[in-house]
Amino acid sequence: MTKEEQLKNINDAIKQTKTNLKPLGYNLVFWGVVIISMSLFHYFFPQIVQSSNYSSTIYWVTIPLLGMIYTTYYNIKSGIKIGYETQLDRVIKIIWGVFGFCWIFIVGISLSQNVIPTQDILFLLAVVLIMSGLIIKFNNITIGGFALLIFTGYTYFNTDLNLLLVNTIGICFGLLIPGLSLYLHKSDNS
Amino acid sequence: MNKEIEKLLFNPIRLKTISFLMTVETCTFKKLLEITDSTKGNLSTQLKKLHEARLIKIEKYFLESYPTTDYSITKKGKKSFKEFYKQLISYK
Repeated sequence: MTKEEQLKNINDAIKQTKTNLKPLGYNLVFWGVVIISMSLFHYFFPQIVQSSNYSSTIYWVTIPLLGMIYTTYYNIKSGIKIGYETQLDRVIKIIWGVFGFCWIFIVGISLSQNVIPTQDILFLLAVVLIMSGLIIKFNNITIGGFALLIFTGYTYFNTDLNLLLVNTIGICFGLLIPGLSLYLHKSDNS
Repeated sequence: MNKEIEKLLFNPIRLKTISFLMTVETCTFKKLLEITDSTKGNLSTQLKKLHEARLIKIEKYFLESYPTTDYSITKKGKKSFKEFYKQLISYK
């Protein structure tokens, strides 16, 4: 094998590494749809969700936990299908893993203190979205994160807002729409 | 540079494997088959040689009852590849 052939082999192998952003887009869309559906269902059918003392807590804890199990399973499956993990994939995985852990932490504290965690979760989500958008260099995610951050900040000053509608609007502009644009985007980040 | 490493990376399958592993954290056997365009038996033999030279790490585990193997490059592998590449470029 000549030196040129060796260099060609190296280049050919390196060129095949591409960060696949579709799974992240799918995750964002999935969570966008789940949270918006849950918020709207709670808003229109409070008599069902709040039928007993703990029913609303069970509703808002059980379904997201099931969602977490499903998305973890989906991410493992898609990782195997792709066949490799880049450093960028690993960073994104860690960031969203930390978000999941913090979500459980915030929900746990809120339950013990008997407060609604909506704004804290939205704030955390906005920060993670901004970081993800900047890392993968995808402006729609970054803009969505900033929009969610501003919107969440506004809700801290305007306490009369219905938090279920806040959730719906915030998640729609911060998670669903940017996630959809990432999912439909042809990724070629290497 | 270590002549043994140079000899090891002279094989196109081993060179492609190391080059690809330089750019990723982990990789499956199936993906390496695709990258190196070789047969299962040949790739296994070459991976074994790279592993024996401690240039790559092999991690075996079970996923949904199926045995799965992940490959990644070691610190020694990274250092060796960088030296090899530097030398290759200097010949140009």
